[in-house]
Amino acid sequence: MSGETERDRGPDGRFPGFDVLGQAPHWDEVTAGVVAARIGPPPALEFFTAAEAPCARALLHLLTGQDEQGGEPAVPVSEMVDARLAAGETDGWRYADMPEDGQAWRDTLSYLDADAGRRCGTSFAGAARADQVALIQAVQDLKSADWHGLPAARVWSLWTRYACTAFYAHPFAWTEIGFPGPAYPRGYKNAGVGKLEPFEVRDSRPAEDPVKEGA
Amino acid sequence: MGLRDGVRARNESAWLLPNDGTRTNHRLRRDMRRFADEDEIDLVIVGCGAGGSVLLQRLARSGWKVAALDAGPFWDPDTDWVSDEAGSHRLYWTDPRVIAGADPVPMGSNNSGRGVGGSMVHYAGYTPRFHPSDFMTRTLDGVGADWPVGYRELRPYYEQIEQELPVAGERWPWGDPHGYPYRPHPVGGNGEVFLRGAAKLGITAKVGPVAIANGRFGNRPHCIYRGFCLQGCKVNAKASPLITHVPDALAHGAEVRADAMVTGIAVDERTGRATGLHYVSGGRERFQRAAMVAVAGYSIETPRLLLNSASRRFPDGLCNDFDQVGRYLMVQGAPQTAGRFDAEIRMYKAPPPEVSTEEFYETDPGQDYKRGFSVQTVSPLPITWAEHVAAQGHWGTALREYMSDYVHWSCLGALCEFLPLPENRVTLADEKDSYGLRVARFSYSQCDNDRALARAAQSVMEDILHAAGADEVITIQRYAHLVGGARMARDERHGVVDENCRSFAVPNLYLTDGSVLPTQGSANPALTIMAVAARTADHLIAGGIT
Repeated sequence: MSGETERDRGPDGRFPGFDVLGQAPHWDEVTAGVVAARIGPPPALEFFTAAEAPCARALLHLLTGQDEQGGEPAVPVSEMVDARLAAGETDGWRYADMPEDGQAWRDTLSYLDADAGRRCGTSFAGAARADQVALIQAVQDLKSADWHGLPAARVWSLWTRYACTAFYAHPFAWTEIGFPGPAYPRGYKNAGVGKLEPFEVRDSRPAEDPVKEGA
Repeated sequence: MGLRDGVRARNESAWLLPNDGTRTNHRLRRDMRRFADEDEIDLVIVGCGAGGSVLLQRLARSGWKVAALDAGPFWDPDTDWVSDEAGSHRLYWTDPRVIAGADPVPMGSNNSGRGVGGSMVHYAGYTPRFHPSDFMTRTLDGVGADWPVGYRELRPYYEQIEQELPVAGERWPWGDPHGYPYRPHPVGGNGEVFLRGAAKLGITAKVGPVAIANGRFGNRPHCIYRGFCLQGCKVNAKASPLITHVPDALAHGAEVRADAMVTGIAVDERTGRATGLHYVSGGRERFQRAAMVAVAGYSIETPRLLLNSASRRFPDGLCNDFDQVGRYLMVQGAPQTAGRFDAEIRMYKAPPPEVSTEEFYETDPGQDYKRGFSVQTVSPLPITWAEHVAAQGHWGTALREYMSDYVHWSCLGALCEFLPLPENRVTLADEKDSYGLRVARFSYSQCDNDRALARAAQSVMEDILHAAGADEVITIQRYAHLVGGARMARDERHGVVDENCRSFAVPNLYLTDGSVLPTQGSANPALTIMAVAARTADHLIAGGIT
């Protein structure tokens, strides 16, 4: 499977008029503070070096489908991942055949640059989009085989885990998927198939399973 | 006397919490008794989670001078917890660990808690009992192990704890059939799907058992169904020891010493008895004297602490004369299967634990595998759901499109009884943590029976979702829970502790957490861990203060 899609339409607008931030006044103060910190201009990079940053940015934008938007991405995933690594906010564990997360990020970014150099004579960030896609697709396709001395599946898991955790922590993403976000102290009163709260918005394309086999 | 009055008479925790909309009794904590390091207290406990807190509360009620040291914070749900996935990172044990073996088990958010309340702060809240067969799988099925204690001995403690949490659910027809103190909660979309699919297939499914009172309980308010059970309950509705046992313990003179990392258990070489705990608090190395020691650090940290407490008498680690420490560590195989519906399920709008079936729990002679699995609703929030979707290989725009379909998915999870194997174990890695202690290396590999169970469970979940009308199903392979690693046994050649959780090697050292369980069944372990600790508490109380 691939990140490429023939569809000419993004997921925007499945929930017309829904904006999770409209609910922020109903969130408890502590939670609202945590979410607010994710909005607005992201902090400067601390963890990634100047040499690593463009590669991290290109990779993370590709993984989260934010590579083709003009200007700044809706969700600053590379800054969010950077902040997490700078704070040492890992899950603690590491595979015996992988370095700890911070070092694994540094190592794999340099391997991506090396692969790009071999394939197209540029850095990963400097490569054409089609080449970037091919380069990371090649890592995913290796499955558990070796990539620069590391099990490719674990590298892929590292990248996607950090990318998804950052992207789906952002209210932009919650709005995109119709998820109303923090729910304290408000809670929910209308649970059940097909039931909505007054602040939820029904999917405008309910029969459209976006990636259904054969669709 | 009503049920609630009966509970209150023996555990007043729920009535010691505030009823003004805040969640923490600050006065109780401020006025807490504080022992000096040089006081020889009656018992010091390592870890204030499921096992440690129950032991603490029971012994404090019996007049013991008892303290529990926990490496993490003394949580205040109002100020420390959030209704947010990524913001809940501090709830997990994230000190370094190495995972190895053919099928390594990721740690962190899935299975490792930190702070007062332990992993029950972020568990889903399912509290099924083990089945009677779980205590004798070797005799019945030729796999696993027999416990040195049976279901019958544990049953009264199951009943006590179910009342103290308290547990809500339908009458439970499996294992030893029993009822629950509270009626079942209403189900959300995910539970509806499960019930509908199971009914079509003739599979019995029931609502519960969930450690969330259906109604007020003491000063604990009714659940508001906000769906963030796994991020710590800001409502005080879902049970964790922080609100079910610690308040009563404090009111009866126990001390909870938070932010205190235990680094070693001291044993007197001459007497062979434990004398107290080395620990680090506020950057200082300290030593708490005690007449008895109980370790309740859970299945990774308990074996690690024993191994890191080596001495001349115990060169290979405390209690490890027969190379049993760290072995037979278990995780449940937890494949998670989701189904897609045109209708909106919005599975986040209810507690993730709602409906369960134990129809497949016991060995089925018609199958080529032993033991079985349970199936439960799980309702992943967006980040966890993204992991499920990404596991299908999607990334980039495809991932985003798939994720935009979130409200249409229903998700079930299985708990498969993976077998206890000697080589699935904790040892010490060469690398050290910030305290200078060698970190745990957890090696895990599945056996053929495990893989067969996971396949069967996935197939049942796919059938249920299809029967409910799903047009597409997707599965991610996961693990859930931890038990074992310092199991109880009849003798010291087969385990680390006896049926009362007393270590074979050191007469005044007890282990009172999930690490003592010899098998795991297909049940979430919290209730059983608490019941075993409550039974050990009775044993200690009967023996008297030493």
